[in-house]
Amino acid sequence: MSFAFKVITRERKLEDCKPLFDEEKYKKQLEELINLLEPLEKATETGLIVEEDLCTGCANCVVVCPVHASEDPYGMGSGKGPTIENPILLIENGVVKVINMLLCRRYGKERILCVACRENCPTDAIRFLEE
Amino acid sequence: MLIQATCAGCACLCDDIVVEKNGEFKVKNACRRGAGIFLNYLEGRAKPSINGETSSLEEAIERASEIIADSKKLAVYGMDTITLEAQKLAIKIAEKTDAFIDDCSSFCLGNFVEACLRGEIPTTTLDYVRDNAYVIIYWGANPVHSSPRHMSRYSYFPRGKNRQRGYEEDRFLVVIDVRKDHTSKIVKKNEVFIEPESDAELIDSFVKIMEGKAAKYSGEVAGILREIKKGDAVVFGGLGLRYGLEGDFKKFYNLLRKLNEFSKVYFIPAGFHSNMRGFNESLFEKTGYVNRYSFGEQTSRKEFEFSKLLTSSIPDTTLIIGSDPVNSLPFDVSMHLSKINTITIDPRRTFTTEISDVVIPSSISGVENGGTMVRSDGVKIKLNSVFENKFDDTYILERILERI
Repeated sequence: MSFAFKVITRERKLEDCKPLFDEEKYKKQLEELINLLEPLEKATETGLIVEEDLCTGCANCVVVCPVHASEDPYGMGSGKGPTIENPILLIENGVVKVINMLLCRRYGKERILCVACRENCPTDAIRFLEE
Repeated sequence: MLIQATCAGCACLCDDIVVEKNGEFKVKNACRRGAGIFLNYLEGRAKPSINGETSSLEEAIERASEIIADSKKLAVYGMDTITLEAQKLAIKIAEKTDAFIDDCSSFCLGNFVEACLRGEIPTTTLDYVRDNAYVIIYWGANPVHSSPRHMSRYSYFPRGKNRQRGYEEDRFLVVIDVRKDHTSKIVKKNEVFIEPESDAELIDSFVKIMEGKAAKYSGEVAGILREIKKGDAVVFGGLGLRYGLEGDFKKFYNLLRKLNEFSKVYFIPAGFHSNMRGFNESLFEKTGYVNRYSFGEQTSRKEFEFSKLLTSSIPDTTLIIGSDPVNSLPFDVSMHLSKINTITIDPRRTFTTEISDVVIPSSISGVENGGTMVRSDGVKIKLNSVFENKFDDTYILERILERI
């Protein structure tokens, strides 16, 4: 896996690239890279970014999540509030909050690029880093 | 402490809300609109007043009762956000004083609720929709704004008993609206969004295609009819449909009847105040009409609509409960309120409380008082109180009823 990809998946940090910081000739590239990677600060481990200002709390993301449907079929899978502890997403104070990213299908070694939550967000409050 | 609550923010009446009261105050599972009601329940509260001067609650109730008792033509208005129990008391007050009574449904979805109650159109419950409906049609409604959890809790997204494969395989979404809104954004590639120039033309297209003739929207309509044949369908009609029909409701009801010869198609009105249907049902039970009723003349007429009464300067007193007509009605109409005695019962300061002769503060239904409300599909839902406030609408209306 390339260094760049590892930086995005947070396995490596930009600081790990010594020449970039030590050598004067890379100063411009370093500035550009810092700007480019700024959204990473806001994103979760799976690259999920929630814009709380845009969220209406409709819970479409919570209900469509395939993990929620299989782990909590009679709660979130059926459109109701969660009956399991630590779901991936939860509606709190009217907006979606990321609670437990470890359950997300985009996380870990067997990850897949699932976008169900983003696809069904009517207000574009959810986006992913790679987009 | 965790408290199970019901949100009375819209006619979805979500009963899976959890309020966390220990330490930080949190509201879980409620949409932005609903959570705001719980989180800001102490903000902008109304205070009892008589002619703009602060008074005690009892004095305000006493003065309101005197004004009502002295009035010759009283109009009772609002009531769409209060409990069924309080609505029944308001209807009793109107009956006792031979008053006019009306709510927002006269310019909202009252016609559709009336048709459902009279059995003119086939209707069902939202729980049936979740378990069985395949084709979900939003016609002139934008639930993302009006009832944010409508799609995720009852219609398109949840898995149901006979719809276990989720929205991708077990549901088909149709959105009909005059513009692309947030609801239409959810329509996927192989589903349908129609932007009709006229609802009447679209209805004609459905009828013509069923008769095997060519029509303006033949491509989209033929696709929808093919899907309707595969399973139960439900039409959620909103204000866009109500006004798009331009008064010709029969045309739409005939379409629903015709579609039912074809497959099972139900209708549920969508997108209104939390207990508007409750008021319609209570008044219907009592009088046989859902709104704009005169207890003096024992009948319902278009002229008895609250806005028409105001512009005709018929009432000399109004009792407004849980509504803000100065905000929601046009200025040319609401300005008439300043010329007559206005009594307002409301938990919060509103434009209407600012111009009222008597203001009686009440508690917020679902937050400070329990009771019963009726969901948009006609199912009764119980409310719990999260905080205590014994001066609710029922208490106030009982006191007024005793004194007039």
